[in-house]
Amino acid sequence: MSQTDFTVEVFQNEYLHDGGRDVNAIVTVTAPDALPSASRAEGTGRAEIIIVDCSGSMDYPHTKIVQARAATAAALDVIRDGVAFAVIAGTEGARPVFPPDGSLVLANTATRQAAKQVVANLRPAGGTAMGTWLRLAGRLFASSPAALRHAILLTDGRNEHETSEQLTAAIQASEGVFSCDCRGVGTDWEVAELRRISTALLGTVDIIPDPAGLAADFEAMIQTAMGKQVADVALRVWTPQHAELRFVKQVAPAVEDLSGRRTLSGPQAGDYPTGAWGSGESRDYHVCVQVTPGAVGQEMLAARVSLVAGADMLGQGLVRAIWTDDEALSTRISPNVAHYTGQAELAQAIQDGLEARKHGDEETATAKLGRAVALAEQSGNEDTAKLLAKVVDVVDAATGTVRLKKKVDDADEMALDTRSTKTVRTRK
Amino acid sequence: MTAESRPEPADACPSCGQPVWPGDNFCEACRAELWPARVSGDRQEAPVACPSCPGSQVDADGYCESCGHKVPSASDHTELDLGLIAGVTDRGLRHHRNEDAMAIAVARTSEGPVSLAVVCDGVSTSSNPDEAAHAGARAAIGVLHAAVRGGEDLAIASARAVKAAQQALGELADQHRLAMNAPSATFVSAVLTSRAVVVCWLGDSRAYWLDAGTAADARQLTLDDSVGQELVNRGLLSEAEALASPGAHVVTGWIGADLREAEPHVAQFTPAGRGVVLICSDGLWNYRPEAAGLAELALPAAVTDPLGAAAALVRFAIDAGGADNVTAVLAPFPPHGQPGQPGQHGQPGPHGQPGSAASDNAAAAAARTEESRTDEPD
Repeated sequence: MSQTDFTVEVFQNEYLHDGGRDVNAIVTVTAPDALPSASRAEGTGRAEIIIVDCSGSMDYPHTKIVQARAATAAALDVIRDGVAFAVIAGTEGARPVFPPDGSLVLANTATRQAAKQVVANLRPAGGTAMGTWLRLAGRLFASSPAALRHAILLTDGRNEHETSEQLTAAIQASEGVFSCDCRGVGTDWEVAELRRISTALLGTVDIIPDPAGLAADFEAMIQTAMGKQVADVALRVWTPQHAELRFVKQVAPAVEDLSGRRTLSGPQAGDYPTGAWGSGESRDYHVCVQVTPGAVGQEMLAARVSLVAGADMLGQGLVRAIWTDDEALSTRISPNVAHYTGQAELAQAIQDGLEARKHGDEETATAKLGRAVALAEQSGNEDTAKLLAKVVDVVDAATGTVRLKKKVDDADEMALDTRSTKTVRTRK
Repeated sequence: MTAESRPEPADACPSCGQPVWPGDNFCEACRAELWPARVSGDRQEAPVACPSCPGSQVDADGYCESCGHKVPSASDHTELDLGLIAGVTDRGLRHHRNEDAMAIAVARTSEGPVSLAVVCDGVSTSSNPDEAAHAGARAAIGVLHAAVRGGEDLAIASARAVKAAQQALGELADQHRLAMNAPSATFVSAVLTSRAVVVCWLGDSRAYWLDAGTAADARQLTLDDSVGQELVNRGLLSEAEALASPGAHVVTGWIGADLREAEPHVAQFTPAGRGVVLICSDGLWNYRPEAAGLAELALPAAVTDPLGAAAALVRFAIDAGGADNVTAVLAPFPPHGQPGQPGQHGQPGPHGQPGSAASDNAAAAAARTEESRTDEPD
């Protein structure tokens, strides 16, 4: 095992009854504890861009722009020496505020200080067009040879000054160019809009209801980004002829359906982007394949799951199918598959429930959110259970009996929405 | 044995070419092991072509790169032959891999050659049962082989071999971190000297005595550790009913990290005449449980051609349905002659000394197989 080998563990019940065709497996991928740095010189090979919403609304209340400046300064402080960075001010257009010439500059004490001075003078005025922000970030990243390219996008409002199609096109142009974590401050922004960006750009989305929380969150995001060591890792899934890959989902740390992200990478094989990985980082994936049934006693490789970075194979695991007439074997339920099936259902139930509630369909909202409460309770997902309790009154968690709260804080509803996909892991 | 009293060297050491004598277990010149034990599954040969996808490649894990099916491998069917003892193991028709394992060996002693064998059947509901059976058989044959060469008490050595197998399965569980569902296997061993047969077991793999002279003298030497056997013992079921009831096949004794305190059963007897000891997994005896029926299938060929007879027994089980992995090891008694040349260097068997005191005792002993639980010295 070489230093860069990832651990790939497969959890499944490989036994199928005679004629069975659905193969489910949870694949746990873990990066080695001591990944060699992307480069010897710390920081080289990384680029970081902070995009700060400078629309007029950032001044109402004024604390938003004040805290956004402070958070950007805090983020700049933890960008490591040698990392290429820039700060973009976003309005109905996009402006490189530091460095002002529209390039990336290497971080050191002097450049960080200069950037902080510029950021301290950011004035909110204008509109919101996130697509133009992403396009400028893409242009700046393109001027850098860095492999690990990460951006933070902060906004407080809706994408009002360009069309949805313009935003979609800008997101597509950014895919594979850089990753992006999105944060919404206050409650006047659209969760679905930011989620579109963060999902496509392999980042996270979250709400910062109180601007005072921005600095700590920015610092944490940069720390995580600085910990990434291997860029552009893909999950490669091979399946046998005549098999149908039903879905490939990341299920931990959060649910992300990757099925639509497949690019063909060889005969019977497709790649799914997973972005950059840090030392010791671990994620779980749920792979579901439908295969042509074999005879009792036959064994089939239902999927070969590999981690690849460019031409390098970082690790692989085998998902198998074995047909048996022993019911004691074929009726076993893999606890990992069951757990994550429940977690994915939990995320879906929350999103469906909130959607129904928005449209005034209280009956569906009550049923869906009730189901979510029961699933969160069963799986020990306490964080999600707490968020749910702010939106519904829980009568009985075990059965999922709930009543919709008459008055719900917008921030609580948005927090539940953004964090609905966060999962808890099973004990191994 | 001193050099002067030795017969002419019978053969040359396969490692260094120096002469070796029939009683030697090791080459005196280079210390090479002359009659190493053979264990099924030790040699894994990678398959090369998928039978259903012409032109496709087989990957390093043994799957067809086109249809994904596991390509049948050499380990699905293994034949081992040491002349004095031989065995065949097969995947059967309904299981996806062979979770049976067998090991056979011949030890040279001052009393003549001694043949020994172990069969383990991995418990399919435990983790890695194929590895469990292989690790158990391999560990046990090593201990048993050394003990027989060292002239130890065979009953104690047999129980010690079980402990070694249990130890190996414990290590397997630790290695794979399999605290739950610890790898487990059944166990049966047989040791044949020119005077006695010692069998030792835990689980439902069996040993039979197939008498070459009187077919009616064939009998089962072991008693299953199974729910079915317990019900039969208590008079609640007949043998036939037990065999037909699916729950009755549940084993109540096995080797594995989750049953470390299990004590093996040891039985020994002295056959009254020529015959063959069969040890086998339930993949065989499920289709023909009675000793007389098995004797009918195996004899007389088993006396002179144990490999051919074992292959025929396995073929019989596969033709009957092959629902489980099948393993049959046949060891002719007495174990005389050189490997592949039965009879050449043998001591006269009991049949050659009619009426002797030894053979009277043997007949008496043969009438009842004495089962004893040995206390294992640590």
